[in-house]
Amino acid sequence: MPLDASRYRPAHETLDALDPVQPPRLDTVVSCRALTKRYGDFAAVDDITFSLEAGTVTGMLGPNGAGKTTTLRLLLGLAEPTSGQALVFGRRYRELPDPVRRVGAVLESTDFHPSRSGRDHLRTLALAAGLPLSRVDELLELVELAGAARRRVRTYSLGMRQRLGLAAALLGDPELLILDEPANGLDPVGVRWLRNFLQTYAGRGRAVLLSSHLLAEVALTVDQVLIINRGRLLARGGITELTGGGQSLEDVYVELTEGEGS
Amino acid sequence: MIGQLRSELLKQRSTQTTVYLFVAMFGLVALAVSMHVITLDATDLATRARQLEVYQVGSRAGMVFAGIAGAIAITAEIRYGTIRPTFLITPRRGPVLVAKLAISALVGAVFGLIAEGLMAADAAVAFGVRGIDNRLTAADYAQLFSGGAAAAALWAAAGVGIGALVRNQVTALVGLSAWMFIVESTTESFLPDAARFLPGGSGLALAGNSADLSAAVAGPLLLLYAVVAAVAGWRATMHRDIA
Repeated sequence: MPLDASRYRPAHETLDALDPVQPPRLDTVVSCRALTKRYGDFAAVDDITFSLEAGTVTGMLGPNGAGKTTTLRLLLGLAEPTSGQALVFGRRYRELPDPVRRVGAVLESTDFHPSRSGRDHLRTLALAAGLPLSRVDELLELVELAGAARRRVRTYSLGMRQRLGLAAALLGDPELLILDEPANGLDPVGVRWLRNFLQTYAGRGRAVLLSSHLLAEVALTVDQVLIINRGRLLARGGITELTGGGQSLEDVYVELTEGEGS
Repeated sequence: MIGQLRSELLKQRSTQTTVYLFVAMFGLVALAVSMHVITLDATDLATRARQLEVYQVGSRAGMVFAGIAGAIAITAEIRYGTIRPTFLITPRRGPVLVAKLAISALVGAVFGLIAEGLMAADAAVAFGVRGIDNRLTAADYAQLFSGGAAAAALWAAAGVGIGALVRNQVTALVGLSAWMFIVESTTESFLPDAARFLPGGSGLALAGNSADLSAAVAGPLLLLYAVVAAVAGWRATMHRDIA
């Protein structure tokens, strides 16, 4: 796969040189149809159908064990659905040509070898993806880890690990970013950094799908939410739509998840 | 594929694990050789065949440490979760496994060469100190190094397969060590006719440490073991869900 290095802007330009007037595209980036994953009798994901368009930031909400992470794993080809479909850009993730340029994802903030440096971690991934190693240093700048790049990950704080994971997801400058609980372990400055980053990112016509249980944070960051409980999709809509009746997102969430005949 | 190979090589170089394994192997070989050469009776060590048997320790250590390095190449990714970013970057998974097999075989061959080298140096000194004549010929050394390296490379590839199959790092490492030092040595004591066909036994024959099996049979046999283990690991890796 020939590489076009000019495609990547230096990191310090990446955030401020974005084109704010780029029109949002309505391409479907994610589509789940009757997606189901069973472990024996237990349905971790139960008949979920939704699709997401480019240029949107979507928050997947639900209590622990609701099926959020399983849904993301199915989308990313790490697990196979029992039935139904999970597609990104119209294909199964495992059949996507050049996946690093289409999708970037962080599932666990702890997925590092503790005695490997942050820089080497990113380099192993860049090499496997056929990306230039200069891209690693750009991303270390972008996520503000350049100073710690040669230290072993063992010495990183949770916030630093979150940012290193994000850097890995951004290696191929993907069109869709999938993040599982990205705000976990971030301090308020980190949370604001992440929010600004995601909004700027989506403003370029790209899509973000993130899961979270931090409702206040989600309300500030996302355009639309998917509320999931016990493997089922309970509600889907824009924040303003869902909270139209004068309810807060928290009210809507508690009503839906508690009202599940539990 | 070149990128995958470079990625795997960097994974091996960028942690201290491989170096620790070399140090552990060094210690084990030095200890085992010293005990053999010091405790065995001089007349018992006078023949070429007996000396080659003493050299088995080096070949065994090379094979088992190479197998462990191969198993760690995949189980460390599962243990620390780096398997997720690895498979997100390469979702077809196959190229990752091919690169792991190739790089592990290469690293395994280095383990084999170093183990035989340590063994030869240690034994030469110990024989010299005790005044025992070294009966090994140049051809013996050539086979020890080439066969020992090949056997260790194949054990490393088998280790990747076994690691991919069992996934738990401790289980894989204990299993490989127990196989070599308990199962094979017990079989050798009680069923020597069967032991020469086992993965360790055929590796010893390949390195010329044992005259029980010709290298022409031992090589393909050990290759077959490695292929079976790699295929089993392959099947498990391609279809299983990643937690």
